Amino acid sequence: MDAIQYISKRLLLMIPILFGISVLTFFISHTIPGDPARLILGPKADPVIIKELQEKMGLNDPVYVQYGRYVSGILQGDLGNSTYTQQAVVNDLKRYFPATLELTLFSMIITVLVGIPFGIISANKKDKIPDQITRFAALIGVAMPAFWLGIILLLFFYLQLGVLPGAGRLDTWVSPPAHITGMYTIDALLTGNWPVFQSAFIHLILPGITQAAVTIGMITRMTRSSMLEVLRSDYVRTAYAKGGSQNRVLYGHALQNGMMPILTLIGMTFGHSLGGSVLVESVFSWPGLGKYAVNAITYLDFPAVMGVTLLIAVLFIFVNLIIDIFYQVIDPRLKYE
Amino acid sequence: MLLNVENLSLSLKKDGSYLKILDDVSFQVEKGETLGIVGESGCGKSMTALSIMRLLPDKAKLEGKVNLEKKEITALSKKQLEKIRGNQISMIFQDPLTSLNPLHSVGKQIGEALYLHTELSKIERKQRVVHLLKEVGLPRADEIVNEYPHQLSGGMRQRVMIAIAMACNPRLLICDEPTTALDVTVQAQILDLMNKLKQMNDMGIIMITHDLGVVAEVCDRVIVMYAGKVVEQGMAEELFANPKHPYTIGLMQSIPKLGERKNQLGSIPGTVPSPKNMPLGCRFADRCNKAMDICRGKQPSTVEVGPNHTAACWLYEEKGVGRYDASRGERSEATFHH
Amino acid sequence: MTLLEVKDLKQHFTINKGFLGKKTTVKAVDGVSFSVNEGETLGIVGESGCGKSSLGRSILRLIEPTSGEIKYKGKNITDLKGKDLKDLRKEMQIVFQDPFASLNPRNTVRDILEAPLIIHGVGNRKQRLEMIENLIGKIGLRKEQLSNFPHEFSGGQRQRIGIARALTLNPKLIIADEPVSALDVSVQSQVLNLMSSLQEEFGLSYVFISHDLSVVQHISDRVAVMYLGKIVELAEVDELYSNPQHPYTKALLSAVPVPDPKQKRDRIILQGDLPSPVNQPTGCTFHTRCPMATAECKTIVPELREKSFGHWTACIHV
Repeated sequence: MDAIQYISKRLLLMIPILFGISVLTFFISHTIPGDPARLILGPKADPVIIKELQEKMGLNDPVYVQYGRYVSGILQGDLGNSTYTQQAVVNDLKRYFPATLELTLFSMIITVLVGIPFGIISANKKDKIPDQITRFAALIGVAMPAFWLGIILLLFFYLQLGVLPGAGRLDTWVSPPAHITGMYTIDALLTGNWPVFQSAFIHLILPGITQAAVTIGMITRMTRSSMLEVLRSDYVRTAYAKGGSQNRVLYGHALQNGMMPILTLIGMTFGHSLGGSVLVESVFSWPGLGKYAVNAITYLDFPAVMGVTLLIAVLFIFVNLIIDIFYQVIDPRLKYE
Repeated sequence: MLLNVENLSLSLKKDGSYLKILDDVSFQVEKGETLGIVGESGCGKSMTALSIMRLLPDKAKLEGKVNLEKKEITALSKKQLEKIRGNQISMIFQDPLTSLNPLHSVGKQIGEALYLHTELSKIERKQRVVHLLKEVGLPRADEIVNEYPHQLSGGMRQRVMIAIAMACNPRLLICDEPTTALDVTVQAQILDLMNKLKQMNDMGIIMITHDLGVVAEVCDRVIVMYAGKVVEQGMAEELFANPKHPYTIGLMQSIPKLGERKNQLGSIPGTVPSPKNMPLGCRFADRCNKAMDICRGKQPSTVEVGPNHTAACWLYEEKGVGRYDASRGERSEATFHH
Repeated sequence: MTLLEVKDLKQHFTINKGFLGKKTTVKAVDGVSFSVNEGETLGIVGESGCGKSSLGRSILRLIEPTSGEIKYKGKNITDLKGKDLKDLRKEMQIVFQDPFASLNPRNTVRDILEAPLIIHGVGNRKQRLEMIENLIGKIGLRKEQLSNFPHEFSGGQRQRIGIARALTLNPKLIIADEPVSALDVSVQSQVLNLMSSLQEEFGLSYVFISHDLSVVQHISDRVAVMYLGKIVELAEVDELYSNPQHPYTKALLSAVPVPDPKQKRDRIILQGDLPSPVNQPTGCTFHTRCPMATAECKTIVPELREKSFGHWTACIHV
């Protein structure tokens, strides 16, 4: 099977998964007690008006009819209107999602650039001082609550030293770049707007580090254990027996083999960070998907909740597809099976 | 003399304390000779090989000397060792599947040895790899170059390992149980191939195995190891015809031989002592049916028991024709008059 | 008297390749027939992938045979279920290759040996312990060692425990699947001698599965040679080893290294490797490597025939 066939097969397989997710979230959110119409109109509203609104919103139809309506909307690119922001959910997502994606991508870059090298060093110097330090740091990273680290970083770098900004995505005197991807740093680069890029970039640093702290810990530990296993393997011994230097064996043989489980973990944490950045976004007033989702849940804003859920599900599947394609590229044993 | 191993001792750290894995091991390999090292699991035969390659864990304590021709391997730096491994000394391991990198093509893995040790260009390397694959008897060499280990059978994989080892025409080839993981018909193919390669190149071979059949099949000379020590050494024909050490004798009697049926196999009672509490005297004494008082109290020295045939056993100490100093490969004058 | 009779036994496995992939069938055992007499040892020898282990397991019904018939003491046991199957297991036991993997590391030897007795409701606790103590002496371990855990024993001792466990229920038939392959030669001979003496004492029958031709010769009364799921030759042990008929048996025997440097033989070196059991060659499955193969071998599937008294061969050229 070739690559294109493999990818199209995997994309086809997404359909039943997405169907399952949409059914699940739709029915869960519709069996939660609470009446959106009543919530919109407030506690003192006239029952007649409430009834009218319920009728208008289709809340009295059987659930499957409501679901059918929803799905046919999705197919036309319509996720309904948010009852809280009164905007089309699609538009809301377009506004909030790039902020989250930008933050997540940035934190993942930090994670990979820091976590993997430290994991390799740790494995290579097993039980020696660099390993002890790395393991201790990784343990702290995993154990520390993200919001707490965020607050500490804010206190130090923003309030105490004043070298980094504290909230938002841009300085107040800078206007956002033209909307291309919605990610300010990338849009600024694409339009060659250097001052905006600088402003957007320094705003990313603290939330990015905060978000990365946990995942760095996880990736470091995974890299260490995966590399340790690989370094014990027979083919590493063969590589040394051929006369390979330590660096050559480490980077030419061991790393590639050790990458397998690390890739899976990167995919998992990436998906997880997308959906789970609520706390970091709250601490740094980051106008992202997490904050939007929390609001939507608080106000029983079903269309928004479902929109967020579906988006994250699609991304999660997509990221895993990319990871699987990486696997195929690295490992000849898998060749599109 | 190609390889000279003198008084080699090895200790490995386990659970905080050092355990002596090899104790005063000495032997030589001549050019064009195949030396068999036989013994059961834990006797130190694989560790002997890894000590010669100096592929030991970080916390290993190695004493004694290993000389390859004029070069003292035990005195080399890391960098110098890298130049020797895969170039002048090569090694083949037991399990060809796990010993090959699953992510690299056959060509890349053989080519790496050439890349590391020769000045050949990329194209020349590729030509040499195909040539090597043909030499180790692989059909479709041009295709196999681009294939991966999982696409090959066990026997083919071991041929690829041999091609890697032979890539730079080594002076010494160490084979650690090279056919143990293979089926008997494939084992026959591989042994056949090794005999051919040996005749072609003038290299020395160390064949490590637990299988006395394999030893008889390919080795010129044999050393028998037990619990980290060499207990007997001799030319293959002489040793098989006249085993002297009670352990060697026991070993030979415990294997069922094709074409002869006995009701009971000979066997050696008990088990190998653990390196944690090695007996003070002869390490085989507790399992030996000829053990005497002295055996438990004092380690036997190596004595000559026949033409170019030595054993470390008290049985031959008095009657022995003379003491044999294996490290120097000659009889020592002082005790020759016995 | 015939204890076990196997007729045309087939054990096919179906493999699904991926979600939308094709189904393929692996014919691990493909029409095997033989019998085992009381007190006899039948050796089954062959290389990896020849189906010898699957055969052992399907006789015990540890895996369900695809088709064929297994008779024990004249009674068809192929379709036994529930209590009948459980009772049958009292009569037939298995000893595995890796004694460490097949003993629960958290149980003492006493627990391990008592478990089968409890499962089959044999005696009360006191009687059971008495039986175990009696047994442990027979396999050459001491009573005090009953309280030890598997990791406290050496490989050979563990295999003795594995054998003792198989013997607790006083079976008639033991299927031994590569029982000495993981052991060093000096220990291997201890276990083989033990198996022989237990056979005499308890009147056991063995189906002894191994890749090691010398070991099989030592322990067996009759030997069956398997290749790709089929028996290619079956005969009395001395007859088979001194007068092999099938070209595969001949090659196999000549490939075994003999521990005598003076005996330099001309060996038959087979070309190539064992074909994959998924894509088996047509006709005689051995024709791809057979030095005697002719055009007919590619089409005619040879039957296992009795060519001389008690000597069965599946080859059209014999």
